[in-house]
Amino acid sequence: MIAGDLLTQTVVNGLLLGGIYAVAALGLSLVFGIMDIVNLAHGHMLMVGGYVAVILFSSVGLTPLVGMFVAMVVLFALGVALQEVLLDRVVDEGMEQPILVLFGFALVLQNLGQFFLSSDAQSTDIGIAGSGFTVAGAFFSFPRTVTFVVSVVLILLTWLFLRYTRTGQAIRATAQNKTAARYMGIDTDRIYLITLGVGTALAGAAGALLSMLFPVDPYVGWSYLLKAFAVVVLGGVGSVIGTLVGGLFLGVSENVGALYLGGSYRDIITFSIFLLVLLVRPQGLFGTGGGSE
Amino acid sequence: MMDPVADRWAAAGRRGKVGAALVVLLLAAVPLVTTPYITEIVLTGLVLVMLGVSWNMLAGYAGQISLGHAAFFGLGAFVTAWLVSPSGAGLPESIAQPALVAIFVGALVAALLALLVGPIMFRLRGHYFAIGTLALATIIQLILVDQRQYTGGSTGYFITGGPDDLVMYLVALALTLVTVVVTYAVVESRPGLGMKAIHDDESAASSLGVNPLKYKMFAFVLSSFFAGLAGGLYAQYTAFISPDSTLGVVWTIDTLVVVILGGMGTMAGPLLGAALFIVLDNFLSSIVGGLATSVEGALIILFVIFLPGGLYGFVRDRTSDERPPASGEPSVDGRSSDD
Repeated sequence: MIAGDLLTQTVVNGLLLGGIYAVAALGLSLVFGIMDIVNLAHGHMLMVGGYVAVILFSSVGLTPLVGMFVAMVVLFALGVALQEVLLDRVVDEGMEQPILVLFGFALVLQNLGQFFLSSDAQSTDIGIAGSGFTVAGAFFSFPRTVTFVVSVVLILLTWLFLRYTRTGQAIRATAQNKTAARYMGIDTDRIYLITLGVGTALAGAAGALLSMLFPVDPYVGWSYLLKAFAVVVLGGVGSVIGTLVGGLFLGVSENVGALYLGGSYRDIITFSIFLLVLLVRPQGLFGTGGGSE
Repeated sequence: MMDPVADRWAAAGRRGKVGAALVVLLLAAVPLVTTPYITEIVLTGLVLVMLGVSWNMLAGYAGQISLGHAAFFGLGAFVTAWLVSPSGAGLPESIAQPALVAIFVGALVAALLALLVGPIMFRLRGHYFAIGTLALATIIQLILVDQRQYTGGSTGYFITGGPDDLVMYLVALALTLVTVVVTYAVVESRPGLGMKAIHDDESAASSLGVNPLKYKMFAFVLSSFFAGLAGGLYAQYTAFISPDSTLGVVWTIDTLVVVILGGMGTMAGPLLGAALFIVLDNFLSSIVGGLATSVEGALIILFVIFLPGGLYGFVRDRTSDERPPASGEPSVDGRSSDD
């Protein structure tokens, strides 16, 4: 049997990782809830964010915690460009066209990563990997704790943005009823631009944070997409708090599952949980609906 | 069920019949008059035709965008490999079967998987179905990568035995013809009408007495059968199999490229698309090298946005006097959507 303190440690590690998963999923959830588009390239945008952090770290020694902001700016610009140049032409054409366009975009990002940055995994080890502190028998490593705190702050800021700024209110109005929002004078095209920008900026942040814990390679995109979508399904489309809970749940179940069944089953467990939840409660464990279905 | 094919064949006119027969004869002559290198390229094209035609039935006609086609291709390939050379995967030699039987069983197993998971997967709609099939395919791939004693792990293994390449090529050509004709018969007859009705408006079709699940399942199981058939053929011909390449998302990608370039929701689309893809695939890598996948991705984007009818739609529009405009074939651009 697995000792109790090992289980506690695994749960703590899972919770700390779950914060990043929540950030990764929040952008996907926002875009899905507001534009009714599943960004199939979301995982690949995480990858780009990770690479931005890796490159800044290895070339000029910038810590990923600062590199994260650069990644967010880069990904915001990428998201806005994607919406302006490509998605804007198909966003109102139903589900097929946007999902296929984004599939193509994901392929391009993956291939460019492979071509220019090699297929080898790279990470940002800022030299604090082994350090940390112990609370009630559980070890809180600095990288995991710092990334968790940053993640929660990012989620909180996103929530405040949606709740209290005029743009945030316009975004929520557009999510509720696009036509009505338009009649009320909201420039929904601009809202779509901002939504995709914010959504992909959050993917950039999550990618940069993840680079502190796991190596980045060009193929992580699909796996991160499925993980982020799993969190969206767990938490309910468009729900900020639900996303946080879903992220923590996924982080813990993934780590505990891997503890009992072996590391190679980590993703199998995650995607199986995801499919199960999707089948039992398509609106999410904590969601009230929204999006399609 | 074969009536629509017979009718269309009768109505095709002499030029059409001669043309179709000529194409088949030319394809049959490829291994005799060209190099093994070119033969393998053409065979890959035939496999892509099977994959494209089968995915198109599910996505282009029934409107169910699956991102898990590689799983059924890969499963057909692995079952075929296990039955042709069981010892390579540590299985008892007593289950060994001739290659043709093995390929057929592989396709049946792929169809059986679709039959089992179909009712579950079709609880998901639209985006959820697309992501759900991607997750399913990823799970199957991860399990087979993990079960290295049966799959050769990430290095894969070689298949020994089976007919020589010429026989396999001709079998592949024959089975491609079967795939095309059967799929054509299906989409042109009653089940095909049901699929198109679901695609256009599922709730309206449902309220008019069309059972959506029945037609979605029909498309899914048949589509998976042909994907499995393609997988088995390809594994037997190339005599090599590995979970990473044979089950990889790359087969789903290639299938999508073939159908989108050729024209989604049309019968000729995947045929044209596969031909174009083979040309692109062999010229692209010599021109753009490692960036070939980027070009493919960019082509998907450009075609979906600017040429949603694909190459076939483009040609049809240019020569529209030869066909009545209301052909009844749904294209990606000309349909209502409420997903």
